[in-house]
Amino acid sequence: MATSRAFLTATRPRRTATLPARITARSLITGPPPSVPPIHGTHETPTSTPLPSPNPLPAFHIPSAPVPHARQEDGKPLYVSGSQAERQARAGRMSSPLRRGTHESWWTPEMGFFNAVAKTIPTFRVLDEEGHLVRGAHIPEISKEEAIRMYHIMTLVPIVDNVLYQSQRQGRISFYMQCAGEEAATVGSAAAMLPNDEMYGQYREQAALLYRGFPLKDMMAQCFGNVEDEGTKGRMMPVHYNAPDLGFHQITSPLATQMPQAAGAAYAIKLDENRQGDCVICYFGDGAASEGDFHAALGMNSVLGGPCIWFCRNNGFAISTPIIDQYAGDGIASRGPGYGLDTIRVDGNDALGVLSAVREARRRAVEGKKGVLVEAMTYRVGHHSTSDDSSKYRPMEEVQEWTVVDNPLYRFRAFLVARGWWSEAEEAALLKKNKSEVLKTFSRAEKLPKPKLGEMFNDVWAVQKGEEMPSVISEQRAELGRLLKKYGDVWAPWRKERKRFVEEGEDVMDCDGRGA
Amino acid sequence: MRPQQLIPSIGRRCRPRLPIVLSPQRRNNSYTVSVDEPSDARPADPPAPRARSAPTPVPDEPTVEEPSLGKSDILLGTEEQALATPGLTFADGHGLRGPTGKGRQTRRMNLYQAIRDALGTALATNPKAIVYGEDVAFGGVFRCTMGLTEEFEQGIAGFGIGYASVGGCAIAEIQFGDYLVNEAAKLHYGSGGAYPLNGGSLTVRAPIMSVGHGGLYHSQSPEGFFLGAAGLKVVIPRSPIQAKGMILAAIRDPNPVIVFEPKILSRPDAVRAIQLLSNPPPSLAALLPAKLRPPNPAPSIQLIDLRTINPLPAAAVSEAVKKTGRVVIVHEAGKQGGVGNDLAGEIGRRAFEYLEAPIGLHAGAFDF
Repeated sequence: MATSRAFLTATRPRRTATLPARITARSLITGPPPSVPPIHGTHETPTSTPLPSPNPLPAFHIPSAPVPHARQEDGKPLYVSGSQAERQARAGRMSSPLRRGTHESWWTPEMGFFNAVAKTIPTFRVLDEEGHLVRGAHIPEISKEEAIRMYHIMTLVPIVDNVLYQSQRQGRISFYMQCAGEEAATVGSAAAMLPNDEMYGQYREQAALLYRGFPLKDMMAQCFGNVEDEGTKGRMMPVHYNAPDLGFHQITSPLATQMPQAAGAAYAIKLDENRQGDCVICYFGDGAASEGDFHAALGMNSVLGGPCIWFCRNNGFAISTPIIDQYAGDGIASRGPGYGLDTIRVDGNDALGVLSAVREARRRAVEGKKGVLVEAMTYRVGHHSTSDDSSKYRPMEEVQEWTVVDNPLYRFRAFLVARGWWSEAEEAALLKKNKSEVLKTFSRAEKLPKPKLGEMFNDVWAVQKGEEMPSVISEQRAELGRLLKKYGDVWAPWRKERKRFVEEGEDVMDCDGRGA
Repeated sequence: MRPQQLIPSIGRRCRPRLPIVLSPQRRNNSYTVSVDEPSDARPADPPAPRARSAPTPVPDEPTVEEPSLGKSDILLGTEEQALATPGLTFADGHGLRGPTGKGRQTRRMNLYQAIRDALGTALATNPKAIVYGEDVAFGGVFRCTMGLTEEFEQGIAGFGIGYASVGGCAIAEIQFGDYLVNEAAKLHYGSGGAYPLNGGSLTVRAPIMSVGHGGLYHSQSPEGFFLGAAGLKVVIPRSPIQAKGMILAAIRDPNPVIVFEPKILSRPDAVRAIQLLSNPPPSLAALLPAKLRPPNPAPSIQLIDLRTINPLPAAAVSEAVKKTGRVVIVHEAGKQGGVGNDLAGEIGRRAFEYLEAPIGLHAGAFDF
């Protein structure tokens, strides 16, 4: 651990030695007022170190004139032209058994081993850390409304995260995961997608979900598992959202399992003539890319086709494992050519760069009915989850530094200001509105009861018309009803617990109590 | 590879074990290890091949002829018998008489012919159906087949879940995956009934159990692993006609269904043997070896053909046990952690006061 940390700090150039005073002086939102008693009891979780959460928004600042940048003259990565079908046809035509299955090869007496397919993989960006336009960069087509909506979500997510994170610390919800530091990567990519597209998240993509129009109310309802939680009906841990009408698929805890599913969905879209022009985006992290599922998914998608954007949020850590302990190759982008996928590496803290790259990736994916890999380089500012204490494996100074030196919100705001689309007054109003809206939905969601108790027995197996619930389930339901009838009023813990549910458990007491 | 005898067989003969002959090197235990070899030297000459004594063949004992099932005429030989299969329903709603009112046709098939027939029906009627899996290389009737290498085994289940999630009908053939337990089984519950979208279904076919020459890796009966996976349906057909019906039902079921296909059923003779056991006709006793013949008068036996093991129909089985007072559970999987023990526990809990003898469990029951 010590060596990896030393390496990390040694290789990353430190651009500021000390923090500006405005960061420490900033008043962070501290979550809901503690007047409401905690519901879950206080949890003993390992997280104790306070992190800059949410990703702190620097004080308003009008950018100076752009600084000219040096051109990146390093070797360009290779691109084999032609569609997937053409390349497959070319490979199939080769008659020599030695060459079969290769794109282009030749006989050579030189024994040339290689460990990279390109000298370097450049990182695409449109805005630099200061928010200036990089020389030669093209600003993607973006309307004022679109840009402000992106910024709205990018500033809303930190507030949502902070309120829910603090409420977990107070024992009011059981778990939470923040998006801090990855706002630009998530919102930028979501903004490049169209409404009919399918979206597979890993677990840290609440910003994409909000961008697609998921109401705050539903988000809070899911985290509390209350009666308004229509997505998961109180059955899932917090942050396990789904929104079928927005094309956002169920978040599940197992890592990387969304990837083969995304390949399957992309293939279904490819075959479905009514869905031509739609696309799938699959989010995953640098850690998930070490799972076998990553390779199975990219392998199947590259062979079978189907429009899919593989969006890697390379945020530097897989829980505690830094990327230096995760892979020895050139990031995740280097794996794309292995599967013959169009690949790009993009600066994940540059919302415009991500928007531009994913938009082009989407075009290629839809036109070629194939997968495209996008590696967004970013940094996880928050802890992995509320069950993690990242101060054990990375210096807090490093985190602070990232939020100052390379702040995604700052960069995008500088662009908005430079365009004349945003002002300090508008910012203050937006933050105030966001904060009050979040706190309002939060306190409302917390006060709502849980769904009916009997809801936990539904949907285990889908019951079709004319079928009965399997006896395995109906017997358990009857047993609970019998016990509730007997002890529900006389045993204090149950008497108290029942009150949290709609109908207070009466709905399962409809049986004769003679269950198994 | 014809079945040699009826099951159950207690006095089954085994091939005598071959004598183990150790080679001289092995016996003397003389190894030399050199650490001073220069590292850039060519690899040393390969070691001389060890002497291998050819095993002395032990002649088989002459086989005592036992009644051959293949020649038996007590099987589902006629249309009437086939159509009388319990639980047989017709999706077209016309019942046994068929749409013409003049009855239905039957064809003689083994398990895989039946499955192929069922898949053909599914693909012909559902434009969103795909059949895929490892080395799936059927031709002809299938609109869409893919040959995937085993490298992608772990992705197959997930691929199907995703395909089904957006409303497709995925029919996979795999060996195994944690996905089925963790993702497929929980998708409907976790998403509050939203996924898979309308019309989506996932059916997984996997061959299991032994066929006699599968060795360690192709003889296992892992159905017990999936008993705890609420949300997953696990079915095991025991005959071609069941296989066809169950595959079609599974494809139309919104739940993820695993259809475990006993490999042995792909052999026509074996099919008949299983059918003989499952539907014992009155003349069964005459075919059994003398020591296996039931006493006279023969006891009344109710045979329950447990086609669905998850969700386990424990209540229905227990009701039957209450009538007979005795029960013997037979399956091919091992005793521990199998369906039999699970079922025995449920029967014991529900019908304890009706039992007149301990619950019998004949596990590892493979006798072909």
